[in-house]
Amino acid sequence: MFEVRSRGARLLLQLVVTLLVLPFLFPLVAMVQGSLAGDGWGNYAAVLAVPGLWRFFVNTVVIAASVIVIVYAVTMLAAYGFSKLHIRGREIYFWLLLACLTLPEVVLLAPLFTTAQAFGFFDTYWAVILPLAALQVPFAVLLTRNFVNGIPDELFEAARVDGASAVRGFIHLIVPLTRPIAAAILIFTLIGAWNNYLMPLVFLQSPEMQTITLVPQFFVGQFSNDQTKILASAVLTAIPEVVAYLCLQRLFERGLAAGALK
Amino acid sequence: MAGTTIASARPTAREAGADSGPGTRRRLRPAGYLWILPALVLCVGLIYYCIAYTAVISTWDWDGIDPFPEKVGAENYVRIAQDPIFWRTIRHTVVFFVVTFVVQTALGVVFAVLLHSRVWLGVVYKVIIFIPVVLAPAITAPVFRRLYAPDGQFNWVLEHVGLGGLAQPWLGQESTALPVIMAITVWQWTGLTFVLYFAAMSQIDPSVLEAARIDGAGNLRILASIIWPGVRGTTVALGILSAIGALKTFDVPYLVAVGGPNYATEFLGTYIYRKTIAQSHVGYGAALSVILLVLALTFAIIMQVRGREKDGVS
Repeated sequence: MFEVRSRGARLLLQLVVTLLVLPFLFPLVAMVQGSLAGDGWGNYAAVLAVPGLWRFFVNTVVIAASVIVIVYAVTMLAAYGFSKLHIRGREIYFWLLLACLTLPEVVLLAPLFTTAQAFGFFDTYWAVILPLAALQVPFAVLLTRNFVNGIPDELFEAARVDGASAVRGFIHLIVPLTRPIAAAILIFTLIGAWNNYLMPLVFLQSPEMQTITLVPQFFVGQFSNDQTKILASAVLTAIPEVVAYLCLQRLFERGLAAGALK
Repeated sequence: MAGTTIASARPTAREAGADSGPGTRRRLRPAGYLWILPALVLCVGLIYYCIAYTAVISTWDWDGIDPFPEKVGAENYVRIAQDPIFWRTIRHTVVFFVVTFVVQTALGVVFAVLLHSRVWLGVVYKVIIFIPVVLAPAITAPVFRRLYAPDGQFNWVLEHVGLGGLAQPWLGQESTALPVIMAITVWQWTGLTFVLYFAAMSQIDPSVLEAARIDGAGNLRILASIIWPGVRGTTVALGILSAIGALKTFDVPYLVAVGGPNYATEFLGTYIYRKTIAQSHVGYGAALSVILLVLALTFAIIMQVRGREKDGVS
């Protein structure tokens, strides 16, 4: 965007970005450094040796994967319907959905708590998966609908003329063409599900059901507040997400560029 | 093969025959109701059910267990209106929204513009800025509690750059706890603002920038007159999202400061949690939830309508 001709100006630009990015880097460095203080890598070994730690990971993976599958399926279907198919009064339905974006999860606590108990969902994965998916879908549909709007109608008309049904239009056009925005949805949903704290805190009470966002508190008890071990566990839980983001970074940006909020 | 030809010939013929009005094409689109049904069932079903349930609970004086709660009408709402802590949470939310939104927008735009320019190792900067978005507040909270502790790294840095006089227990006193919470939030979410602006800016037509440059516009002029108006849609959308985000704020103030000291970092979200779960005033918490919901919806509608008006599209 900015045009810099001289070498000096370019160096200045570089210096400004570097200075601005330092405050963002600082806590990350503090986190890694703190996790290596004292026993060094021994902290990681101690954390990994805690029995039941894998349980936290497995629970989070199960929950995050289920939420992603549900959100992806539901969102793609809805975005196709909203963008390319005929729905009378579709803006009304769309706004009904978007209004859910304003809903904070704390509002769900009391009703979900009683309902989950009544249906026997309490302390099961479903008590966390369903509300998380419901909270993620509106934003995902908003992004994906914008993206699908950018795919020319003529493509779908041509397919129809060739005798393709709506279902085949979905399978052969929507699914392959929405890959970039799917990467964005995947990352946002992963972040939302993996990082969620409140739902597991309230709805998953038994120790073998808990997720990794509850790990720091678990370790406060386990290591009688040994900060280095807590930070080591923090680094370990962050790794899968950072890796996922790095792998999908290019697709993610392409998807956002095409489906960006408008 | 023959079957497909006949099946496909029919709509084509109809389209050719009825090709008089602009609406005919749309009528030929297959119905989409079934396609949006799962999303509606999941979201509208679950969430609207919870909202309705919350609205009902908000008229009870209920501890969450009692099978026969006392129905008290609007009493919870009356008590909220007279609750000084409730008004404090509203003030915190407003300050929090204005500060975090302005700072994040400024940082996001600056980063996006700079990283669209010719900068070495752009990807590295991008990744560093975005990583905080990926990390859970539950995971980073211990880091920040440590960082802002009286003997933490933040004070250590202050001392080493000659500002040792400013060192203080940042989270332990009312005057600085809220700014620290805001700083952590900015750290956490600027990456998202940046990525969305970065995406929006890549859609600005380079030939427009080129033309402006030929007309003698400098970098700052281009930023003010072309880039900033060009990403307006993103700014409006981010405005709505941050306002709703401010109303929803829970994780950071709860995990870093538990709403304290002395309610200095209490937000509606943490207050609802405190009332509903910690103190078992479920009816009161539900009334707070309803108020929160009404505020969020009102704000979203106002922003959306005003954003559209300025755009000049309906």
